[in-house]
Amino acid sequence: MNAEEKDLQINPVVPENVVHNTKTITDIRSLTSSIFGIAAGILGLESYSGFIFYLLGSFIVSVMMVVFIAGGKPQNYFRSASEIWTTEVFSGSSLSSFILTWTLFFGLLRA
Amino acid sequence: MASKALISLSTLLLIHSCYSAHEHSLLTPASTSNALPLDIVIETILSVLLLCLGIVLGNKEELKPISWSVWSGMLEREKGCGQFGYLEERVGFLDIRVKRAEFAKWVKGAEEGSS
Repeated sequence: MNAEEKDLQINPVVPENVVHNTKTITDIRSLTSSIFGIAAGILGLESYSGFIFYLLGSFIVSVMMVVFIAGGKPQNYFRSASEIWTTEVFSGSSLSSFILTWTLFFGLLRA
Repeated sequence: MASKALISLSTLLLIHSCYSAHEHSLLTPASTSNALPLDIVIETILSVLLLCLGIVLGNKEELKPISWSVWSGMLEREKGCGQFGYLEERVGFLDIRVKRAEFAKWVKGAEEGSS
């Protein structure tokens, strides 16, 4: 039994709550990333600056989630403390929905 | 409630900035530099920040602690029944003779009442 398993035996976690918390974060990420796409399209950002805008916005949303939702203690709600910062930023549908709304609004406003 | 007001206000701002950017791109000739005016940029960024804040605040109080001990303690304090409540509140032994006597009395009483 390695150290991680032993830690799980001593402090067991509730799997339903882990799933629920991850789902909450995923919902917020997918909503906000499409809004960032709208903003990037309105601002007319191109190539790298758009992705930098996305990264910056995701970082701000992460800070908001840590402060307002997790109450400054994300380790109480997630298996690893970095999860609230990285979940769904690059994986999943958030980045693609950002690009979708970015290109859509860029095309609508600039074409 | 505050988050809903924030979301509606910032959505209006975002729609307005989108419309302004559209008008700006229509009215400036393509040959000149078509950088957005500063006020539209500020309005867009402000509305997006407020919208994110509203979304985050709308999902407040939704996370649940993953540690079993913390979660059970919370349930017992708030609902009076933890995760193992079904084990803690079980009936003891039934006195089956008393129950039978009660049932027999009830049946007799029902027959007498009907007849």
